[in-house]
Amino acid sequence: MDDMQEDKVPFFKKWAYWYALVMGFLLLLIIFFYFFTKYFS
Amino acid sequence: MSGLDWFVLTITLLGIIAYGLYRSRTTQNLEGYFLCNNSMPWYLVLLSIMGTQASAITFLAPGQSYTDGMRFVQLYFGLPLAMVVLCITFVPVFHKLRVFTAYEFLEKRFDLKTRTLTSFLFLLQRGLSTGISISAPSIILSSILGWDIFWTNVFMGGLLIIYTVTGGAKAVAYTQQLQMVIILVGMGLAGYMVIHRLPEGVGFFDALHIGGKAGKLNVITTGTTDHGFNLNDKYNIWIGLIGGFFLQLSYFGTDQSQVGRYLTAKSVGESRLGLLMNGLVKIPMQFLILLLGVMVFSFYQYHREPVFFNQSQLSLLSKSKYKDSLSVLNKEYNAMQEVKVKQMNLLVTDNLQKGSPAWQQAQSIVQTSEDQKAKFRNTVKRWLKDKDINGDDNDTNYIFLRFVFDHLPKGLIGLLIAVIFLAAWGSIAAALNSLASCTIVDFHKRFSKNTITEKKQYTLSKWYTLLWGIFCIAIAQLAYNIGNSLIEAVNILGSLFYGVILGIFLVAFYFKKIGSSAIFISAVVVETGILVIHVLNQRKIISLGFLWYIVIGAMGVVLLSGLLSTVFKKDKKAG
Repeated sequence: MDDMQEDKVPFFKKWAYWYALVMGFLLLLIIFFYFFTKYFS
Repeated sequence: MSGLDWFVLTITLLGIIAYGLYRSRTTQNLEGYFLCNNSMPWYLVLLSIMGTQASAITFLAPGQSYTDGMRFVQLYFGLPLAMVVLCITFVPVFHKLRVFTAYEFLEKRFDLKTRTLTSFLFLLQRGLSTGISISAPSIILSSILGWDIFWTNVFMGGLLIIYTVTGGAKAVAYTQQLQMVIILVGMGLAGYMVIHRLPEGVGFFDALHIGGKAGKLNVITTGTTDHGFNLNDKYNIWIGLIGGFFLQLSYFGTDQSQVGRYLTAKSVGESRLGLLMNGLVKIPMQFLILLLGVMVFSFYQYHREPVFFNQSQLSLLSKSKYKDSLSVLNKEYNAMQEVKVKQMNLLVTDNLQKGSPAWQQAQSIVQTSEDQKAKFRNTVKRWLKDKDINGDDNDTNYIFLRFVFDHLPKGLIGLLIAVIFLAAWGSIAAALNSLASCTIVDFHKRFSKNTITEKKQYTLSKWYTLLWGIFCIAIAQLAYNIGNSLIEAVNILGSLFYGVILGIFLVAFYFKKIGSSAIFISAVVVETGILVIHVLNQRKIISLGFLWYIVIGAMGVVLLSGLLSTVFKKDKKAG
């Protein structure tokens, strides 16, 4: 295994963008769930 | 079960075993057996970590939303955050040090006793909880299908041993890939069938409105009551984000059954991508599984619903002193159900329009029947809790399977029983592989005075996998004989130990000035404290949800070791 050879980050320039995507998606899900709960309650 | 169901079940299970054996060829050393020679691409890592986390009970979760609504999904809100922290800190370090187990890192960072203590806590917790992972679905299947519990345990925990022993981590990863595909297809078909079997004129959105009116679509809850925030509330957004974060970080970062999955990746990047994808797909997947429970709930508004879903417990009552009372209750309940089903179907034939008086009437019927149903169910539960009966008053895990058996077509029933087996196999196989890796790497090899050849290590690893498999089946059998008390105890076992183990790893990664004596003493003291808190909680002197144990344990170790590091200045420190 080329362990610490920094392999190319897929789709983005930096891993930080991937982290932002995951956290942004979580935020969107929570907002969606909030309105989903409110709408159907 | 019909002949077709048996055929589907048998073919699916044999297919998985054959596929596992086909994929079993590995190099005959520890690298091949436990790390797949670091050859796995990210998508196999993703399916493997998902397959490891999802146990049989995960796919019986529609019962959870049926009874308590969808708020359970909040428990996973901390998962994406944990994935990010893992990718930044844990994954590169584990890969750089080329470790087999997460606990090897602790010896490099602190000392042997900290590594041994942590690995021992893992073996204790994971060994017992894997036994329960076998026992829980076995009890449900043997109860519904009338199978012998011993043989159900053997099939649930034993068949997977064939390919897990032979092929190690590689066979585990490849079978988990196929298992996840079959599981998702099975659950998707079940979801389609529920909606398809709703009365004509009632669609998906109508079913959602019915579930919403009955309070089942409570995806976001805050845990606050008139008296303020309820610390004993199990599922709300705060416990999901905070407690869930600590739970998932400790599970994915310090539990070898998960660490062992992403260490098989061919690079740091592939490990990261697998974990991050898990952060993206896990919550939507859990949401859909719970939504299936809401669809089943709506389905039962138009069909007769059992008063209690665990039929074996009703049989128990029918042979007890409550025999006559149960007979009366059944008559009254059936009459109520008949009125409800008739009214609901009448409203459908009158072309249900949202907001119309007919629609509002339907909502009112749902609410009234729910209130009445709760009274009947509570009565049955009260009888089951009677010391003379000593029954199981929780039928949550039986709801989905009862629906499957009563209302789904032949063939699909066999497939969904196979889904329960495969879900159990995925997590059990990974657990056995990790238990064997810790036993050989952290104990046998580490404490052996003689050099062990690679070939001997490989053979020993196979033996340890087999022995742990037998041990877990024995625990499953014991759990059945002792009953719910042991199952409940083992279910909270993870919460008791995860916090302290996570605290040790957090200090190892983020607090370079804290040394070995400070961390060891802190771990022992805080673990004792957690056990004391648990006893107080059990005796109802305090009231605290179990997930808070992880937060307290992790934070307690960090803070106490920080204080003690000022005393033990000559400790072995990082770097």
